[in-house]
Amino acid sequence: MLKIFLFILAFAGFVPAQTFKVEKLSGKASAQIGTSEKWTAVSVNESLPANSMVETGKNSFIRVDNGKIIFTLKGSSALPLANLKKMSLNDLILALAMEDMLNAPKKKQEANSKNTAVYGAQINGIKSPVVETDDFGVKRLNGAVQLAESGFRESAVVDAKDTYRKYPAVKNIASFRIYFADVLAGLGLNEDAYDEYKQIQSLKLTSVQAKQVKNKMDELATKMLKK
Amino acid sequence: MMLAANISAQSSFELSGYWLPGNPRTTLLNGFESNPSSFSLLKDWGLTMLYGSDFSNSITSNLYLISLSKRIGSSFLTARYTPGYQKDFVFNNGQSIVLHDSTTQPLDSKFSYKELFGLGYSYKFSDKVSAGFTFRYFTQDFNQESVYPVFSDTLYLVRENDDEKADFWRGDIGVNYSPSNLISLSFSTLNLLNVNANTVDPQISRYELKNDKGFLAEVSFSPTKYLGLNLLYETSKDWMAGLNNFFNAFNGDFGISVTAFHDQYQTPYIAGIIPAISFSTKLFGISLSGVKYFSNRNVVHAFSDFQNSGLDNIINNRYSSDKAVLTLTFTLNTIPERSVEFLDVNILNEIFPILSDNYLDKPFAIAKVVNVTDHVVNAKPSSRIEGLNNGKIESPVVTILPHDTVEVPFYTIIPASYDKKKAGISYVDFYLNTTNEDPDDQTQKPILINGINSWDGKVVNLRYFIKRDYEYSMNYAKNILSRYKGELDTMSYALSIFYKARILFNNFVSNLVYAANPNAEADYVQFPHETMQLKGGNCDDLSVCYSSLLESVGIQTALVDYKPVNGIGHVNVLVNTQLSPEQARLITQNDSKYFIRKNEAGHAEIWIPVETTSLTNFEKAWDLGAQKFDEDALDNLGLAKGNVQIVDVY
Repeated sequence: MLKIFLFILAFAGFVPAQTFKVEKLSGKASAQIGTSEKWTAVSVNESLPANSMVETGKNSFIRVDNGKIIFTLKGSSALPLANLKKMSLNDLILALAMEDMLNAPKKKQEANSKNTAVYGAQINGIKSPVVETDDFGVKRLNGAVQLAESGFRESAVVDAKDTYRKYPAVKNIASFRIYFADVLAGLGLNEDAYDEYKQIQSLKLTSVQAKQVKNKMDELATKMLKK
Repeated sequence: MMLAANISAQSSFELSGYWLPGNPRTTLLNGFESNPSSFSLLKDWGLTMLYGSDFSNSITSNLYLISLSKRIGSSFLTARYTPGYQKDFVFNNGQSIVLHDSTTQPLDSKFSYKELFGLGYSYKFSDKVSAGFTFRYFTQDFNQESVYPVFSDTLYLVRENDDEKADFWRGDIGVNYSPSNLISLSFSTLNLLNVNANTVDPQISRYELKNDKGFLAEVSFSPTKYLGLNLLYETSKDWMAGLNNFFNAFNGDFGISVTAFHDQYQTPYIAGIIPAISFSTKLFGISLSGVKYFSNRNVVHAFSDFQNSGLDNIINNRYSSDKAVLTLTFTLNTIPERSVEFLDVNILNEIFPILSDNYLDKPFAIAKVVNVTDHVVNAKPSSRIEGLNNGKIESPVVTILPHDTVEVPFYTIIPASYDKKKAGISYVDFYLNTTNEDPDDQTQKPILINGINSWDGKVVNLRYFIKRDYEYSMNYAKNILSRYKGELDTMSYALSIFYKARILFNNFVSNLVYAANPNAEADYVQFPHETMQLKGGNCDDLSVCYSSLLESVGIQTALVDYKPVNGIGHVNVLVNTQLSPEQARLITQNDSKYFIRKNEAGHAEIWIPVETTSLTNFEKAWDLGAQKFDEDALDNLGLAKGNVQIVDVY
């Protein structure tokens, strides 16, 4: 195993290899770099590490460039710059598998005895506070949509899945769900797309959305049967 | 004048027929005549009696042989008494005296040859090879009548018996080799040793049994389980051939045998046959055999015949008569019968005492075991590791079909009290039991028992170090948390877990002043109390210690196994805050610092990665842990690719 000093040395030099330069900026934009708790305003020509989260205000936009990719994030959006990358379909399939893994309920381990501590009980009658995070979740989905529209469909799906995990409330927004299910279908991941549509059916849908989802499911079912 | 007789000592001949040598179904256990190496498959005690009749002019019955045999381990001992192995000759020696009434009184010579007793020993070196020897005691009594004049007032003749004895010991050695169940080979000496017990007049010595040295070779072939072909050949050009057939009935073995023999001193070329039938069980055997000569035996021979051709065998010679022989054998087996045997035992891995639970469901050794019986056997495997187990540790019973070979797993139990720090070579006794108290088979293998701090390098097994020092950690953690009781009591329970993790980490690192880990080896892990005492350790030690502190107060943790890249791996800790995703903002404004896992009930919970080697503070350790987890586990798809693994402690 790595000795302590080796590990500290490794972390001391931890700097993301890629950086994004802010080429253009309109309105309000801020960034959260790495694991920082603070959001700082972004200015033109500023370099942002790849492990930054960028957020734009209403009616704003920011254009970033890392030498290979130029990307414009529109208003009311948020995007982890690390997702600004071309992913292969195989990597997306792996990422979806990882998603399934993380979403699978933790199994009990039989080898060790169970801990006797009580989990999850409320004490002192204090109600657990809940902080609404929908806004930021929506912003991230907005960012993921723009990612897909810019041709980064695989990264967009991964970004959306991460958002749904961390901001579960936005899973109820049918339009986003249908959009990313369409992306999956467009990538030829018919079974994943079909499962997604099936879950979407349980949401509150407009009649148009319901019909759209049903048509997509029929279409995918036909495709899968032909295989 | 007498001519030299051609007499040789007892050579191969079997009154009970010539059966498969050493075969347990053979009723005769002690045929030294065809088995000078005294080879036998008898398991314990054996008693044999031969009783028979000679069909000469008159029928005479004899107890030919009685013998006792015993196996002790790999040694086999036999002693036999052979009162019926005897041949007497009465001759008119050609002289006579004329009595006063003018009648003639012939003078007789009486020669008596006997084999009195014998001793045999053989040793089984392996299932294929055995060797041994026999000693047999022979007596020869030469009695001749003669007259000699006595001169006194008148001359008269005195009739006198001249009695000479020429007893001797004969010793032979032999070896048996059975390369397979199909074939068996034997080689033995004939008359290797002849030790005279007394000497006789040179005039008489020419009638002694000769001690010409020779060899005997045998081959037995069993093309099927029920058929045996045997051939014995002596360097004197005598031979004996037997055909045996067996079949099962009445819980025993029936055998039919016919043996033909050639003796250079008898006519015709095949001098006779020995048909025999037998029935044998595990406890006793009985056989009825007959010796039928093809030449007429009811004739009177002249002394000159004896002088010319001599005697080649005490019980089989040109003067022998047809015989019927009943053989009875009793076997007493006080040794438990072996139903299963070890073929091989493979120790799968050295013992790591810390991985105690592992050995309950993962075998530490696999044995190949064969069922040597004709029926299904339930084998009970057990083992005892010297220095680890006080008694035998039983493993699950294995059912083995007849003559089948199976792999039998052996499990063990590591006592919770085991605390030896040094590794050492010990040994394991493996046992196989069936129906008996005593094992059917046992074997011993060396094994390496590691020290209690030794680890097999698998991160999944670091859990055992956490569990082992649970009590120490609980006392330590509770002591720390009690100092923050007021703060924690007024806090939301949901947040209290997160804050407990932070308090414990900050206190934990404040007690650690980095010092080179004296046991910083890949296979050595410190228990939490050792890490605290030594005030340092590597990533394994620190992760184990921090995880143990949290688990001891009911906070769920997992170890993150970053698999070796370029030979360097890493471990840190994930902490379950039990916060829901909606509560994330209570602890962080940065959603890259946590990730979501679902609990057993399917509810999403926030887990945070903590880098335990960051001996600064909780926030920094969390940041470092999150950066590495995001990069290696998520962005680079390490979790999906198997480069990163989450190991839940409980």
